[in-house]
Amino acid sequence: MKSVFMAAVGAFAAFAASAEPITIVDQRDRTVTLDGEAERVVTIPIPAASMFIAVDGGTDRLVGMHQLSKTAIKGRILQRFYPDALAIPSNITGKGFSFVPNVEELLALEPDLVFQWGHLNDDIIDPLVNAGLNVALIKIGTEEFTRKWLTIMGAVTGKSEKAQAMIDWRDAVMAEVRAATADIADDERPRTLYFMNYLSKLRVAGGRSYNNFYIDLAGGKNVAAELGMFAEVGVEQIIAWDPEVILLNGFEAKLSPQDVYDNELLADVSAVKNRRVYKMPLGGYRWDPPNQESPLTWLWLSMILHPDKFDWGMSERIDRNYQFIYGQGVTAEDIQNILRFDMNADAANYDIFNDG
Amino acid sequence: MSLANEATARVTRRLPGLWTILFVALGLTILVSLGIGRFGVPVDHVAGILAAQILPIEPFWKPVEERVVELIRMPRIIIAGLAGAGLAVAGSALQGVFRNPLVGPQIIGVSSGAAFGGAFAILVSESQILLIGAAFGFGMLAMVVVYTISRQQGRASILMLVLAGIVTSAFFSALVSVTKFVADPDDKLPAIVFWLMGSFASASYEKVWLIGIPVVIGSILVYLMRFQINVLSLGDEEAQSLGLKVERTRWIVLIAVALISAAVVAAAGIVGWVGLVIPHFARMLTGPDHKVLIPAAALIGAIYLIHVDNVARASIAAEIPVGIITALLGAPVFAYLLRRAANKGWSSE
Amino acid sequence: MIRVEGAAFRYREDWVFRDVSFELARGRFGAILGPNGRGKTTLLKSIVGLLRLNEGSTKVDGRIGYVAQRNDMAFAYRVLDIVVMGRATHVGLFRTPSSEDYRIARSTLDRLGISEFTERIYTQLSGGERQLVMIARALASECDVLILDEPTSALDFSNQALIVEILDRITAEDGLTVLMTTHVPQHAQRLADTVLMMHGPDHHDWGPAAEILTEEKLEALYGVPVKSLELEHEGTKSQALVPLFL
Repeated sequence: MKSVFMAAVGAFAAFAASAEPITIVDQRDRTVTLDGEAERVVTIPIPAASMFIAVDGGTDRLVGMHQLSKTAIKGRILQRFYPDALAIPSNITGKGFSFVPNVEELLALEPDLVFQWGHLNDDIIDPLVNAGLNVALIKIGTEEFTRKWLTIMGAVTGKSEKAQAMIDWRDAVMAEVRAATADIADDERPRTLYFMNYLSKLRVAGGRSYNNFYIDLAGGKNVAAELGMFAEVGVEQIIAWDPEVILLNGFEAKLSPQDVYDNELLADVSAVKNRRVYKMPLGGYRWDPPNQESPLTWLWLSMILHPDKFDWGMSERIDRNYQFIYGQGVTAEDIQNILRFDMNADAANYDIFNDG
Repeated sequence: MSLANEATARVTRRLPGLWTILFVALGLTILVSLGIGRFGVPVDHVAGILAAQILPIEPFWKPVEERVVELIRMPRIIIAGLAGAGLAVAGSALQGVFRNPLVGPQIIGVSSGAAFGGAFAILVSESQILLIGAAFGFGMLAMVVVYTISRQQGRASILMLVLAGIVTSAFFSALVSVTKFVADPDDKLPAIVFWLMGSFASASYEKVWLIGIPVVIGSILVYLMRFQINVLSLGDEEAQSLGLKVERTRWIVLIAVALISAAVVAAAGIVGWVGLVIPHFARMLTGPDHKVLIPAAALIGAIYLIHVDNVARASIAAEIPVGIITALLGAPVFAYLLRRAANKGWSSE
Repeated sequence: MIRVEGAAFRYREDWVFRDVSFELARGRFGAILGPNGRGKTTLLKSIVGLLRLNEGSTKVDGRIGYVAQRNDMAFAYRVLDIVVMGRATHVGLFRTPSSEDYRIARSTLDRLGISEFTERIYTQLSGGERQLVMIARALASECDVLILDEPTSALDFSNQALIVEILDRITAEDGLTVLMTTHVPQHAQRLADTVLMMHGPDHHDWGPAAEILTEEKLEALYGVPVKSLELEHEGTKSQALVPLFL
């Protein structure tokens, strides 16, 4: 397989213009060599589109993205920053959460690099490789993985400095938050639960999830740490865990803390009684999975978990880092939108974010 | 001797105390299950909460414990019991009218048809009634298709029945995929996927009625047909020569089965193997007479699925899909039945 | 009374039988003889109403009791449960057999001298016992016409004798009209008033047993020589129709 791929790349390279070749190693340890900077990139993993835009600083070199990448842009702040993003084709995969590439549509876009998931099955990869495309495989899960995305995207766009700066920012904020939360004793860490699904079924983030990582970092403890990645649980289990803070995913667009408050079965849960149920913010991308804005997630969550201990000045932080990531600042109204004041305004302590 | 006496006398000779054992077992199952769960409720508190339903008892338990027992465990146990009873009754009836102990709601295609009906209903509407109605309608349709394909010169062989079931199930599964494909990924798709997965985790009293009414109506219908099912289980020709209106009888039973299966699929998704294995197990205790078999299978099915769901909800923090457990237990039993069928034939029971 | 007029049945293009006509009067015993494949069972089933003829018609006055040739069973019912199923026509939709139905089932078993079978499992019975239970079930329906498909086949001598004796006794007692198929000419000779001999698709003989069950006709029917022997046993005379295996 690999040799076929390399042969294809070789053949392709022979006809291409001879700029400085770029070699990267993807997250499946495959070596991918480009003739020069990638000028036409397609991203199939959903969070990869906005991250690519962030690293490259624009949409010019993104020629295709997943349909659900676009729904995270449409009507949100990235649309204002990059209005052209909506014109980028997004018919390159099957419908919904399908990552099966539509190879002919893809070939028509003439991409010189395609980002694809590397942790799912190879059936979504082989058609791309067999079609002679350059494919960089990326994985989701840990902070390390996310940094590798930035490195790869920086390398192929010639924006390694920007990528490195984004990584340095992650390092800095992580160190900052860790220093602040490291000494918090176990019994002072709020019992926290993240709902990956709530409306259709109760699915929560376990100990191997990225969510577990930042709950821990921000000074909480994940009540579902005994589970693996994501698992369905019963109502009774949630009552037994009795979380003090509940985080609601950004994927279920209609899901709001009110849905949880209205659930009589959860009436005895501390987070419900104390109105500490929060919708995860949505900025340049959803803040719950790893993304280019993750450090803001960590800061925000540490304030949610310890409103009496921390105040990082979120409005200023968001504005400053949006300048850094996207080159554009935000208004007070933008911040209210990003932090989901529409759903979170009534939650306990949320006025601490009214600092703009 | 009155009919009731006759029936009772005969059962007593068959297995003394069968009904006492089954009813006590069901009662104990429910009581024990009310005390099982991820949230610890002391046994005396459970007893107090239950007793308080009929006796004026000053609560010595926490309100949250009462809510867990009354609002979470109770409806879930009732639904699991109804589903288990319904599937066992449906399976017994199908095995009777197809004179074959190897058929069940899943094999006969009704489950996959109902699954498609429900998915389709979610796609086009928000109505719960339409959902059950469509699940019933398409469950029925799938069964008609299987039955039509498998009938050759007036009789349906087991091989043809199983093959037709596979074909039909595959077709309706494909239709389910089509439904998923065209569904709005933000809105309808998760609802459809959730519905198909099925779980007792979302049990509520509202759902108890939604599932309970069709299951009870269908089961009563089947029970009323118990003698006719006996006659039909002799085979079409014999039943007809005995003066039974074969087609009419079979359709009444099949409609009842479709009603039950649709409700169960609506409650818990496709729970396989219960309708196949439980009737067989019940038959070992009661013999094949459907007068005794059907109520016994219902009780055993209820007991069985309540226990399976106890494992699903209480063994680990995560919910284990009920269908996984029933398959793990049911598939080996089915394999054993197949072997036995090959070796001895059914008549040697 | 059983009347068959111009009955014809075809399997694909080939006629199994054609233009079969006869009338069996009330209270008479008819037998059908013919080699395998002549359509004896088909004819019986079309009279019972289980098959449709391609041409012609059948008519039966009164309720039919039918004893099929195959008597295997998917489920291991008890004998009483099976015999009471003979009452199906008397049991309404959504109803179960009444105590009267059970009484009739028990008394029928009693009449056939097999009341000790009542609680036994059908599938554990021998072939002869099963045949008796099947006859009991047909009789329990209080039929006027009894139709039997090879009731003595696959039975040993003692069971053959038992079935023949019971058929003779019961049908006489109840005044039943009986039609049966058989491969044993002697049983037909012993029981039947009238015999239908099915030689081939277009060749049938219908007439009094004495005229049909002759050495010549039987030899023509089966293609082996058949001898009619006068036998005497303890003062009772009887006739044997015996094939000669040369």
